[in-house]
Amino acid sequence: MAKLERLLNLTAALLETERPLAAEELRERIEGYPEASASFRRAFERDKDDLREMGIPISLEPLAGSDPPVDGYRIRKDDYYLPDPGLEPDELAALHLAGNAVRIDGLSGAEALRKLGGAVGEPSDDTVVASVPTDPRLTVLFTAVTERNVVAFDYRDERRLVEPWRLDFVRGRWYLTGYDQNREGERHFRLDRMASMVEIVAEAAFEREGSGTGIRLQPWELGDEPPQIARLLVDPDQAAWATHHVGQPVEVRDDGAIIIEVAVTNEVAFRSFVLTFLEHAEILEPADLRASMISWLEDLANRVATP
Amino acid sequence: MSRLTSGGRLERLLSIVPWVVANNGPTVAEIAERFDYSEERLLDDLTNVLFMVGTYPFTPDQLVEVVVEDDRVWIHYAEYFARPLRLTPDQALALVTAGSSLLAVPGADPDGPLARGLGKIAATLGVTPGADIDVDLGNASPEVLATVRGAIAGRNRLHIEYYGYNRDEVTERLVDPYRMTSDEGQWYLLAHCHRAEGERLFRLDRIQAIALTMETFDAPATVPGVSVFEPNPDDPRVVLDLTAEARWVPQAYPAEEVSELDNGGLRVTLAISAIPWLARLLLRLGPEVTLVSTGGDIPEDLAQQTAAQVLRRYTGSIQQNSDDPWRGVRPTLG
Repeated sequence: MAKLERLLNLTAALLETERPLAAEELRERIEGYPEASASFRRAFERDKDDLREMGIPISLEPLAGSDPPVDGYRIRKDDYYLPDPGLEPDELAALHLAGNAVRIDGLSGAEALRKLGGAVGEPSDDTVVASVPTDPRLTVLFTAVTERNVVAFDYRDERRLVEPWRLDFVRGRWYLTGYDQNREGERHFRLDRMASMVEIVAEAAFEREGSGTGIRLQPWELGDEPPQIARLLVDPDQAAWATHHVGQPVEVRDDGAIIIEVAVTNEVAFRSFVLTFLEHAEILEPADLRASMISWLEDLANRVATP
Repeated sequence: MSRLTSGGRLERLLSIVPWVVANNGPTVAEIAERFDYSEERLLDDLTNVLFMVGTYPFTPDQLVEVVVEDDRVWIHYAEYFARPLRLTPDQALALVTAGSSLLAVPGADPDGPLARGLGKIAATLGVTPGADIDVDLGNASPEVLATVRGAIAGRNRLHIEYYGYNRDEVTERLVDPYRMTSDEGQWYLLAHCHRAEGERLFRLDRIQAIALTMETFDAPATVPGVSVFEPNPDDPRVVLDLTAEARWVPQAYPAEEVSELDNGGLRVTLAISAIPWLARLLLRLGPEVTLVSTGGDIPEDLAQQTAAQVLRRYTGSIQQNSDDPWRGVRPTLG
C-alpha cells in the first residue's frame, strides 16, 4: 500500500515537473522514502526499475548549474502519454475478441486493451482459437522494424549487420527479412536459428527499400546454394495437398498425378520435404538431385540395424 | 489478481484513472468489470491510496480528489494521470499480432470493426500491419476454412475425406465440428468423429474433400480441450540417439525423456502413435539418428525397410523408362 502510494507520487512528480529533479529533491518531495542515504538509494533504484519495467520512460538529464555534472530525472510527457487512437466501442470490442482468440505465448494484449479503455462486454466466442509461439528476440526486432534500427546478431557462424524490413510468422516459425549489409542483399533469417541475442547498432538509421509484399518462402528456398530447378512427381492421392502447399503443377497426368517445379537453394530441406511423401513422390530432375536422393536412401537401406 | 504486485496495481490504476476521468461518474461495479479488478481492491486503492496522491508541496489543492457517492466514482485534479500510458513494445506486439493474424484468416471482413480498430492502433504506433509484421495462422484453403467456420456456427455435421498423415491413409468420416484452432502455424478442426467415436483433431490442409450434410448436432456445453500432441499411454515408446545436428527434435516433438550423450547429442524417448510418422522422421534424419530400442510392432530396422520401400519407387521407374540413365546402375533392393 505504502509502496503503491509512493510509486504514484513519484510518477506524478516526474510527469508534472518542467525540469529534471535531483534524487535529493525527490526524497524531500515524496513521502515514504527511508531517511538513511544508502537505504534511500536502494529504494529509489528499485522504484525506478519498477516504473521502467511497466514501460514508464524515465529520462536522465544533467541538472543545470551542477558542477561536477549530476543527472536529474523526469518523465517527458511525449514519451509517457498514449496518443489517443480514437477507437469506437465496436472497434475496441473487436480488438478484445481478437486478443482473446489469439494467444501469443508469454505476451499479453490484455494490459494494452485496458490502457485503451478496458473490456466492453463483448460476447465470448471460443470457436476460433489460435496460439502463436514467440521468440525472445521478437519484441526487440519488432521495435527495430518499426523504428528502422540497424541490428546485429550471430547467424550461421557469422556476425550479421541487418536493416530489418519485416517479420513473418509462416508455417509455425518466425522469419526476419532485411538487407544484410555484409552480403549486400536481401536475406531471410529464421529467428530460432539466430545464435545470439539481437543488438541495436544504430537507431532510425535506414530507409526500407523492398519487401512490401511479404515472404512465403518454402524451406528449400532458404539457402545460399546455387538454384536448381527440381521436377517432382507426386501421386494422385497427394496431388491436392502438394498443389495447395507448393503451387500449381506444370503438368497433370491422366491418372491425376502431377509434376511440380520448384527452385531449390537448400537441398537438405528439399530432401526432407520430398521424404514426407514416403513412396508417393519422386524427384525426376535434375539428375544430380535425383542421384543424391537415391544414394541417401541406399545408405539408409544398407545401414546395419543396431538394436 | 490477488497476487498483483505494487507495480501491477500501479499499472492497473494508471489505466483506470483516465477512463474514470473521461466518463461522468461510472459505477464501482462497472469499473471493476471493465478493468478486471475486484471491487474491494478498487475501492481500497481509490479511497486509501489515490486519495493521498499529489504533487509537492501536497497542499489540499495539489492532491487528487476522489469522490465516491452512491457507488459512483469521480476523480478530479489528476491532470497528469488523465491520459493513459503508452503501450510497451510487448503490448504493442501482442495487440498488433492478435489483430492482424485474425484479419488474415480468409473470410475476415477487411472493412469491419477489427480492421478499422487495428488500423487506428497501428497508426498511433507507427506500425504497418502486413508490411512490418505478418502472421499466417495456417495454410488451409479458403473454401475449407469457410465451410468449417460456417458449420461450427450452424452446428452442421460435416462429411470429410481426410488424409491421415501419421498413418498415411485416406479415410471418409462424419464429424461434428466444435472449434477451429491454429497451433504452430497450422489450422486444426476439433470435432467429434463418428468413425473414431470420440474427439479428434483434423489438420485443415489435409481435408481433401468437405461437404455439409443435412444433419445438425447438439454442441456440448463445454468443448473439451485436445492438444495437438497428446501421447496415448498405450502408444509404444522408442528410444533414439540423436547427433548434435539433430538436437532440434525434442523441441519440435514432445519427448518424454531427454538426456545428454557424450558426443554432444541427445538420447530421447518418444511416444509413437503411428509408425509412418516415425518412419518419415528416420528417413529425414538419416545418419543423424539411431534407433536404440523399440516397442509394440515397430520393427528394429524400420529406417532400413522404409528407405528400401521408397528406393523401389526410384528403381521401379527405371524399368518403365528404358532411357533412364540409372538403368541397371542401382540395385533393386528388398
